[in-house]
Amino acid sequence: MGDITPYANSAVYVVEGLLVFFILFKIISARRGRELFIRRIPGLSSLDEAVGRATEMGKPMLFVPGIGGLTVVGLQAMAILQHVVQRAAKFLTRVIVPNIDPIMFTISEEISKEAYTSEGVPEQFDPEDIRFLSSDQFALAAGVVGIMHRERTATVLYFGEFFAESLILAENGQAVGAIQIAGTPSITQVPFFLATCDYTIIGDEYFAVSAYLSRQPTLLGSLVGQDYGKLLMMGVIVVGAILVTLQATLPHLYGLAWLNEHFLKFFPRPPGQ
Amino acid sequence: MTILTHNQWSAISTRFYKLWVVTIADRHGWQLAVFITGALLVGALAMWMLMSVPTRFRKPIVMAVTFLGGLILALEFLISTDTWHPLTDFLPAYGNVQMVIGSFALLLGLVNLFMIHAEAVNKRTRGWINSFAFFVAFFAIMIAGFVKDYAAAKAVSGSADSIYTVFFEGFLMPLSSTMFSMIAFYIASAAYRAFRIRSTESALMMITASIIMLGLVPAGQYLTSGLPGWLYWLRLENVSYWLLTSPNMAVQRAMAFGIAVGALATGLRIWLSLERGSFFDRQL
Repeated sequence: MGDITPYANSAVYVVEGLLVFFILFKIISARRGRELFIRRIPGLSSLDEAVGRATEMGKPMLFVPGIGGLTVVGLQAMAILQHVVQRAAKFLTRVIVPNIDPIMFTISEEISKEAYTSEGVPEQFDPEDIRFLSSDQFALAAGVVGIMHRERTATVLYFGEFFAESLILAENGQAVGAIQIAGTPSITQVPFFLATCDYTIIGDEYFAVSAYLSRQPTLLGSLVGQDYGKLLMMGVIVVGAILVTLQATLPHLYGLAWLNEHFLKFFPRPPGQ
Repeated sequence: MTILTHNQWSAISTRFYKLWVVTIADRHGWQLAVFITGALLVGALAMWMLMSVPTRFRKPIVMAVTFLGGLILALEFLISTDTWHPLTDFLPAYGNVQMVIGSFALLLGLVNLFMIHAEAVNKRTRGWINSFAFFVAFFAIMIAGFVKDYAAAKAVSGSADSIYTVFFEGFLMPLSSTMFSMIAFYIASAAYRAFRIRSTESALMMITASIIMLGLVPAGQYLTSGLPGWLYWLRLENVSYWLLTSPNMAVQRAMAFGIAVGALATGLRIWLSLERGSFFDRQL
């Protein structure tokens, strides 16, 4: 059995190399004009409804970009924020963005300003709607809850990485009667959002949001490339499961021991498993 | 073309590392002041140079810096082995650079906080007293922190420490704990909403949750303790364990795979500057 190290091994070279190849290949083919299909995601289709509700009620929207800071997840949240603010700007609806991370605060300020400008209403951008509340998790939660109750926000969107504060936020969103849409790759927080939000985008759907909303070929191609990557991983899991099952049931099958040995050498198990 | 051997690579990286260690070693007194001033000047110069170049060159520069930044981390993982990892030693310094950039942004965050709360106090809007409390708390804990550090540097103990402790352990921590403890009540109300049986899915969720909850408490385990040996697997604690470690774990791992691939794709797009959107592809 091979060893797990903090560095890349042969399995990483092959699997990660193939993943990168699939993603880049699909991006290139999408940019060349190939039509790509993306299934309907109810939570995202209802985004317009959420913006419309806030507009009808004359109340602001709240976009919470999580507490993960400047990571891939955070940057994806920023890409989603851009689409949301653009749609809200069309109807002159305010979008309040509370931040825990000062870097994310500056990025979200730039994005909002740019989105209002791209919709031809730069004067509607209010710098005070983009707020840095605190770098403390529960101080941020208290601040966001305060904004919800003071502003009576009609729509609350949660996109990003969330931890223990998720339920505090989402329950208070329920209390003020806001329509709530959440999207997070934080697996442990998904049940809380499912219980309290109107729509929840879970797992890898989170990374499909910007492609779904913008329909840009680069993003769509990347999304289809991801699916090929997942198919590859499923294939590896199925082959591994078959080999292990055969080893247990037909241990004397010719060549099986050799295959198993090499498979486990190539995909070493983490220590203790 | 000559390819460098492992030993030659190691010698080069060690030399760079030693130079780096000398550069970033702890400084005190006038040396620290010179380094801070120098860093600010270099930062300002870099920013001025970036702003001075024609706009059509700015984006390629940002793209190149993004690519190089990502390349260091990618190479550190891809080319290293247990015995040879020339870039690993630079990672803490890499993290420090990120921290310094973050510190500049923190200043912008503070300016935003001050502007919002100063306006609230100035206009006496509803709840302005809370904004006033923000200023009091901010300056109180900042001064207490500075006094504590000064006292520690001069090896004087006493009231400076206690004032800081009162602010931190007497105010901030209990307030955070209060917010955290409220989750217990919110869980109850969220669970009530989630467990109302309105569809097949919610019924399934209700049943599964009940089994797991009962399987984790002694009273629940008592309910099925009388089952005969051959039905041992039907005891609530065993069913609960199986639900958590088999169907639940399978779904969690499937989601983790999807998330990892999604994060890889997003990271790749950002690294190679393929990301699209007003922020990512506008003229800088």
